[in-house]
Amino acid sequence: MGVTCVCQVPVAEGKSVQQTVDLLHKKLDQLGAVKQGSFCVDCETYHATANVGGQQSKLLYVMHNTETPLSCFALFEGGPCLKADTNFDILMVKLKSHFQNAKGYKVECRGSRYRYCDFLIKVGTVTMSSSARGISVEVEYCPCVVPGDCWNLMKEFMQSFLSSNVPELPSVFATKPEGLFAPADAIDTMTQYLEVFNKLRKLQIPGSNVR
Amino acid sequence: MADVVNVGVNLEAFSHAINGIQALRSSVSRVFDFLKDGMKNRENLEGREKLFLTEFQDNLQAVNRDLNELERLSGLVGRPSESHPLHNSGLLSLDPVQDKTPLYSQLLQAYKWSNKLQYHAGLASSLLNQQSLKRSANQMGASAKRRPKVQPSTLVLPPQYVDDVISRIGRMFPDMTIELFRPNGNSAVLLVTLGKVLKAIVVMRSLFIDRTVVRGFSENIYNEDGKLDIWTKSQYQVFQKVTDHATTALLHYQLPQMPDVVVRSFMTWLRSYIKLFQSPCQRCGHFLQDGLPPTWRDFRTLEAFHDTCRM
Ligand SMILES: [Zn+2]
Repeated sequence: MGVTCVCQVPVAEGKSVQQTVDLLHKKLDQLGAVKQGSFCVDCETYHATANVGGQQSKLLYVMHNTETPLSCFALFEGGPCLKADTNFDILMVKLKSHFQNAKGYKVECRGSRYRYCDFLIKVGTVTMSSSARGISVEVEYCPCVVPGDCWNLMKEFMQSFLSSNVPELPSVFATKPEGLFAPADAIDTMTQYLEVFNKLRKLQIPGSNVR
Repeated sequence: MADVVNVGVNLEAFSHAINGIQALRSSVSRVFDFLKDGMKNRENLEGREKLFLTEFQDNLQAVNRDLNELERLSGLVGRPSESHPLHNSGLLSLDPVQDKTPLYSQLLQAYKWSNKLQYHAGLASSLLNQQSLKRSANQMGASAKRRPKVQPSTLVLPPQYVDDVISRIGRMFPDMTIELFRPNGNSAVLLVTLGKVLKAIVVMRSLFIDRTVVRGFSENIYNEDGKLDIWTKSQYQVFQKVTDHATTALLHYQLPQMPDVVVRSFMTWLRSYIKLFQSPCQRCGHFLQDGLPPTWRDFRTLEAFHDTCRM
């Protein structure tokens, strides 16, 4: 597992979400990237029913990623996170009395997976309550484990198909000593997806009522 | 006929000798036939043994006699001519079925080639030796006199000495750890970990580097059975390229008289990959070319270049 960066790409001027995604696919094809299947990241939101000690109740996000099909991720808003077996979903049902599923908040991100040399690129369409809300792009540089080492290199790569929409170094790395991406720690990736989801949730897309 | 005699081959003696060989063979097989039949078909026990022994003795003596005869005859046959440059193989030219088996002409051809090869190798060796003397005079100065000019084969250095050289090199580079293993007998295998960038497996033969494989920092270096995996190549293109370049470097850094210097130079070169993902190409200024960072390191300046950007 290498260094992963997830970012949100704005919808192109005068284009729909799908048209912008097609444009990205075309650019990747031209670059020489090879399509390798598809991917899906989903996220359910829960809120705690009991208000412990007068604290404001935190949200709990439960996420899945087809890249790690046997795992389930639980992330507390701004707090601790854990990685568990997929059985965790059943546990959440049992904990119904403590955590309630916010039904309308389910987010899904689906799209194609591309490989280019040692890069893995995933272009996804983010849907909330069955309407396409935005586009996510995940780029992983597999051979390197230190984000600070390969960030410039990744930026140059992303420039080649995102042009001006290249993001800054993800904040999940900024806080880590040495910026070391813990091996097999997929949580950093999920945190970034969650940030993108939350950003898109707040975003009002003009013409989103068109669906 | 006179010609044949001149060559030193006595035909008559030859046919006698062949007869002698046949006689020897039949007497030897008689001995074994006799032993095989054993002592059966005799009246009483003592008589049996006695008779068996005398007959056995007679048979052996017959063998001895035939052998002596053969030796005498072989003296008469005379030696085959040694004037031919290819010795006995020269007799192949007498083979009448030349067209079907052109062995003799092929043999001559091969002989010519190997002669030429030897000659050129000799020239190259003397040229290279001049070179190495010049270098060692510059580098070693006074110590050159103490050192014997040609060391006894450096392939048989004691393991302790190899350990010392490697650990000394390991101490030179703080960002590089070198672990030494001896999975099969005396030959060492080094596991070089360079920062959090790469791991290289270096297979040694004495102090000579035999081969090397470079893999990513997060990749496996052990087999399922817990042994160092010295064969599998990296799953990443960037490290496959680095492996290729490292193999080139092994060929570049050569100084047969001083293998320790070679290992040190190679490690110094390998260490320049600590910035594999951080240095842009010194020629085109970009990080990536065809999806790969600059994987080439100049042997002298250690500068980073893309494979296609190097001079
Ligand atoms: Zn270049």
